[in-house]
Amino acid sequence: MLKYIIKRILITIPVLVGVVFLIFVMLSVVPGDPLTVMMGEKVKVDVIERLSKTMHLNDPWYVQFAWYLWNALHGDFGTSYKLMRSVSSVIANAFPKTLMLAVTAAALSWVIGIPAGVISAVKKNSIIDHLFMGFALCGVSLPAFSVGMFLQNIFNGILPVSGFASPMHLILPALVLGWNAAGTIARLTRSSLLEVLEDDYIRTARAKGLAPVPVIVKHALKNSLLPVITMMAIQISSLLSGAVITETLFSIPGIGRLAVDAINGRDMPLLQGTVIFTTTVIIVGNLIADILYCVVDPRIRVEGGK
Amino acid sequence: MATFEQAVSLAARLAVDSVKDQYSPEERLEAIGQVEEEEMEYMPRPDTLRAKLLMMCQENKVAAASAVVLAVMALAIIFADKLTSFDPNTVNLMERLLPPSRTHWCGTDDLGRDIFTRILYGGRVSLLVGIIPTSISMFIGIIMGMVSGYIRHLDAVIMRLADIVLAFPSIVLAMVVMYTLGATTSNIFIALSMIGWAGTARIVRSQTLSLREQEFVEAARGMGVKKWTIMFRHILPNCLPSLIVLFTLNIPDAILSEANLSFLGVGTQPPDSSWGLMVSQARTYAVSSPWMLIFPSLAILIMVLALNFLGDGLRDAVDPHMKR
Amino acid sequence: MKKYVSLLLAGAMTAGMLSGCGSAFEDSTSTTGAAADATKAAQTETSPGAAGEETSAAKEGAAAGRNVIRIPEKKEFPTVDCQKNTEFYVVPLNIYDRLVECEVVDGVATIVPGLAKKWDISEDGLVYTFHLRDDVKFHNGSDFTADDVVYTIERMMDPDTSALNTDFFSMIKGANDMLNGQADHVEGAVAVDDYTVELTLDVPFGPFLANLATPSCSIYDRESTEAAGDQFGIDPAVTVGTGPFKMESWVLNDKITLVRNDDYFKGPAKVDGVELIQVPDENTQKLMYENGELDIVDLSSSTSQLAYFMGNDKYKDNLVTGPEAGNYFYAFNQSIKPMDDVRVRKAISMAIDRQTILDQMYNGAGHVVNSMLPDGVLGSYEAQEIPYDPEGAKALLAEAGYGDGCDLEIYQKTTDAADALAMNQVVQSMLSQVGINVTIKQMDEAAFLAERKEGNIGMTRAVWWADFNDPDNFLYTFFTEKNAKARSINHTNTDVFQWLEDARAMVDEEERMALYQKIDTTMVQEEVAVLPLYQMDHVVVVQDWIKDFHIPWNGWTDTSYYTVSIER
Repeated sequence: MLKYIIKRILITIPVLVGVVFLIFVMLSVVPGDPLTVMMGEKVKVDVIERLSKTMHLNDPWYVQFAWYLWNALHGDFGTSYKLMRSVSSVIANAFPKTLMLAVTAAALSWVIGIPAGVISAVKKNSIIDHLFMGFALCGVSLPAFSVGMFLQNIFNGILPVSGFASPMHLILPALVLGWNAAGTIARLTRSSLLEVLEDDYIRTARAKGLAPVPVIVKHALKNSLLPVITMMAIQISSLLSGAVITETLFSIPGIGRLAVDAINGRDMPLLQGTVIFTTTVIIVGNLIADILYCVVDPRIRVEGGK
Repeated sequence: MATFEQAVSLAARLAVDSVKDQYSPEERLEAIGQVEEEEMEYMPRPDTLRAKLLMMCQENKVAAASAVVLAVMALAIIFADKLTSFDPNTVNLMERLLPPSRTHWCGTDDLGRDIFTRILYGGRVSLLVGIIPTSISMFIGIIMGMVSGYIRHLDAVIMRLADIVLAFPSIVLAMVVMYTLGATTSNIFIALSMIGWAGTARIVRSQTLSLREQEFVEAARGMGVKKWTIMFRHILPNCLPSLIVLFTLNIPDAILSEANLSFLGVGTQPPDSSWGLMVSQARTYAVSSPWMLIFPSLAILIMVLALNFLGDGLRDAVDPHMKR
Repeated sequence: MKKYVSLLLAGAMTAGMLSGCGSAFEDSTSTTGAAADATKAAQTETSPGAAGEETSAAKEGAAAGRNVIRIPEKKEFPTVDCQKNTEFYVVPLNIYDRLVECEVVDGVATIVPGLAKKWDISEDGLVYTFHLRDDVKFHNGSDFTADDVVYTIERMMDPDTSALNTDFFSMIKGANDMLNGQADHVEGAVAVDDYTVELTLDVPFGPFLANLATPSCSIYDRESTEAAGDQFGIDPAVTVGTGPFKMESWVLNDKITLVRNDDYFKGPAKVDGVELIQVPDENTQKLMYENGELDIVDLSSSTSQLAYFMGNDKYKDNLVTGPEAGNYFYAFNQSIKPMDDVRVRKAISMAIDRQTILDQMYNGAGHVVNSMLPDGVLGSYEAQEIPYDPEGAKALLAEAGYGDGCDLEIYQKTTDAADALAMNQVVQSMLSQVGINVTIKQMDEAAFLAERKEGNIGMTRAVWWADFNDPDNFLYTFFTEKNAKARSINHTNTDVFQWLEDARAMVDEEERMALYQKIDTTMVQEEVAVLPLYQMDHVVVVQDWIKDFHIPWNGWTDTSYYTVSIER
């Protein structure tokens, strides 16, 4: 186990370097530089030319790449051009918002997804099944901004529809993200519950004359939720890396919006910082999910008696 | 250790895009499907696929209905010019923001254009964006996956490449590609293909890994069949059922990704419309003229929902577990 | 057993996140709370228990009659050091002062004394002697002296500062030498005594005084600014000016709090402070205004809400309007076909119905202009009207050899406000009537600006608001050879290049204005290098209790809140 975890962590290093490398290569091709964006309408060619030199913006990308790696190894992720603050402090400012949004969204997705999945499985192929799955799937079947706009209009005046000033502001964006994740959770719950319900020991329990509802609650659900938990861990890690569209629509200054703002402003240090951060979050999240899965998986088989 | 390997492939496959609002088809496929290895044992022969699909239509009414809905929508989109007398792009400032009426079934937008007409024409973009990048990315993914799974010394390189693509925030990646190439519809195809292949590659790789150990592959190898022949003649056909499901589930994903890009301003370019662009342009007028938001959203919802139901139905049909 | 281990793990993960979450809220709460406490300490009226979570604090504050002006901001500022940014001027306008200021006096924008109580200009227009006030203190208590003026200029021109606004001081003798590293001070900036400063120019520069009134020329304190280093403009504690407000706190992506400077040399401001709250979404700005959570909302920068407020009788007494000293215009790129032909440029101008667009899309809140010099700016004049004449346009196109039509690209940024795209689509449709087939090309902002700087962008809509009250600020900015390229206009009229330089050095005001008028007529009417569109009215909605709010002379969103008062 330990050996495996170490191996996984070692594998992430080339991936991280690769991500940083990819950004440098791609942005070296994309036209635009941070100074010109900062100046906007007030373009001053002389000033831009002079400062590009002193800020080393004209250096070839591989030189910039090498410097970036060198400084990053020393724990210096640079200063954002756009916000003139250290990248780490900017990320530290944005992450709590993304974190709160992610946790709320995840919780919502469980509250919606698991019951929907259970009911659908119990009433397999009935109207209720299709209704519940249809509802759960709506969250996956519309663009996040479309769902968000509907919610903003419905709750206009009832709930805050934008910004991040209070816990109330969390509700709508969390609903958008949570509904989306709920579709996946509901499907997984439904299919894994159905599978367990077909298993021998449940059949035996049924044959013995136990009522269907206790059977489901006591035996099947317990086992079928295990893969769902693994999925939850993965979902949380991807939610933690920020939701660009939702954060943009609801004006939440989280990690996702930071990344988009950084690329729009050609703010290389900030972009690198956010991407490295989110990549790490995802890798760690998946590592945890893996471990969970390893722990969980054989268990299902033994109990399932396959 | 087999379970570890499996977990690695599962988790890595699920190590989807970091900046995400939608769950990818791979995730959903995994969510519905269960453990890969078992599937392998029951992997249906491709020649029975037609029978399975027929059976699906009989058993799963929702999936069958979805297929019909999709066909109708596709026809309406293709024959748009026969269904409406308006031009999708002609601006008429005197007819701004009219509510739905008998002339304008879905109302008009902020520039006085007929929304129903724009939905029909915009559907062309959305449909193409659904099919073309999905085809390209799956083609790349299949090749990469089979090579990675069969020619072992290339495995590490290809999979690290896939890791990078998957770990990279997908919207940011797509934006950079669009910025580099310029915002045109054909570049949307390229951008979406570039972020889409890695997921397919992972699934094909893990299936290839299992299949290459199967007797019929070993037998072919023993007879001296060339590796490319083995890959395309023996391994690919056996991956086909899950690839069809994946294809069905990848299309809505591409449609939604295009919508997201349009929302961020780097997708479809006006005056052309796609459904996603129409929804995002409705943002300012969503309160005063809700029809601008409702109808294009409905178009996306119906198409993507139908594709999802169809995909689920297909999965049920080709998945032995669900067929009992 | 393993099952429970996994459940436990999942539980631990969630719990860890939730606790992280809790601390996140505590963080923001305590920061705002501290800010609120400090604000309370600084004012006479205090509201008990104002500390707490932000909106409730804001509401309580309003309920308790705290005299703080709350203003929405759509973007976070990079820095309030106005030497290092070209865009975010609201904080600089409130916490710093300049040697001279530009204010509306009897309906005319006029240069009035600021930190300098009077000034002399030598006859050759080269030497400006400023007599400074001796009763001004910086927020940290140190005296304002001539040395601080010299310091401010030298800080701007110091290559290590990496300032973006060096052009505002570069006409001072020796300034460019310092910028290029050839001198360690600016030769032309001399402190004669503690309260007299003498600025010598290389060549006469007509707009020099107006130029000194821009926010970029705000005066900093030598001692504290030197000590602050790169934290100046970022850390409120070390960001020191002489202005009517002091910077109190800055919670990134949340709000900036300014409090009254009781020792302000013109007398203390009438309100206790100003809060600049981050509200990027325009619809939310409207809602917060209606809930009484915002006091002043600038509708001209939240255009999507303009129709709502203007169309609602309830708000007709709450709207404050004033002209914007700025023009919207289409810029033609003369190095791209078919815009290289003046007849085509003229035809395009004649095929666009500007009045209809203004009426239908902007509620008619402005007027169509025919010159690049907007009303209210020095040197503006009654220009000849550019007609709307599609038939004439067709004839011109045929004459130019495009009788069968031609292709044209209109460029815009993806980040432009929604109305830019809508307007381009309208123009696209209008031009198709005369046979011009328009493609709208949207580019992301950075790429657009980079390409435009190289002179490669096709026809595009742009806007320019006055930095300082002089035609130079408009015409020089667009039509010198370098600037015409950097704005993708690429005109080649060498007379105009020369005239622009000549005008700068002219001492006779009347002669200077006549030349500017000639330049403007040449570029707009003859060359058709640009198509002027509108001068918009700046519209701001203010709460009933806000008194004495005026649109600044230039119609900017960013303005000083020194004169505003609150009466409930």
